[in-house]
Amino acid sequence: MADLAHGHEEGGGHHQVTGIDSRKLGMWVFLSSEFLFFGALINNYLLFKGRDFGPGTLYPVELYDIPFTSISSFVLLMSSLTMVLAHSALARGDQDQTKTWLFATAFLGTVFVSGQFFEFAEFILHGLKLNINPAASAFYMLTGFHGLHVVLGILMLLVLAFKSMRTGGLSEAEGLNVELVGLYWHFVDIIWIVIFVLVYLIQ
Amino acid sequence: MAGGAHHPQPRQYVMIAIVLAVLTAAEVALFYLEAGVDAIGQSLTVPALLILSALKFYLVVAMFMHLRFEKRLLSRFFTSGAILAGALYLITLAALGAVVLF
Repeated sequence: MADLAHGHEEGGGHHQVTGIDSRKLGMWVFLSSEFLFFGALINNYLLFKGRDFGPGTLYPVELYDIPFTSISSFVLLMSSLTMVLAHSALARGDQDQTKTWLFATAFLGTVFVSGQFFEFAEFILHGLKLNINPAASAFYMLTGFHGLHVVLGILMLLVLAFKSMRTGGLSEAEGLNVELVGLYWHFVDIIWIVIFVLVYLIQ
Repeated sequence: MAGGAHHPQPRQYVMIAIVLAVLTAAEVALFYLEAGVDAIGQSLTVPALLILSALKFYLVVAMFMHLRFEKRLLSRFFTSGAILAGALYLITLAALGAVVLF
């Protein structure tokens, strides 16, 4: 009975009647649900950013450093390129390049997150604390949760890269893991594409 | 590889990344140009920024995430999630007076 709905292929594949590996399908469904998660946070920010919270209060928009955030956005965008190059290298069986591009992606992600820490530190030094007003809270929640997603992505990339280093290369079965981490990484990138425009550029 | 479809080659990925970088530069340029234009120009900036970001979104999803080469089922799952979230939050923002739909 179970075989009708769920068959196993040689090599560790988990194919269902849809013809799509169940782990891959699961990742796409998860990413689809993440739209609702980030949508709620973006919605929350847009709702509060224009509200008046009394005289003398500070708003995130007053402290934005657009050139700095633009460079951060560019770095994250380029990390999507290195990620797809890692996937492409693995598909060609080039283990050295796969490892290099995985490390490069983790490095670019770390640069992005470091930039975000710097931005938060600057904002807090200027008096924009988490609880100063709902607009500031919404800003920190949105960009903070995005940053947390990037950190998780970096950890997954490093696990794959170090595994590749230790074992001398990733197996074909592990290739799907690279693809799934890649999907997650690109998703984090597209969420930032939306945040960059809705939060930073449209003021 | 998804469905046996031909994925782009590394050179094409680099070209896509260059396009993405140019689109980002255009977004930032629009942001700075907005201050120097009249009211009509400013009213066009927001739609232009949204179009540019939608283009970047599409390029990453279609080419880097390979959704263009995947089975339709995955596209349906992904786009339905995006449309559902977009519609839900747009309605919420409109109901709370944060945006004007009509």
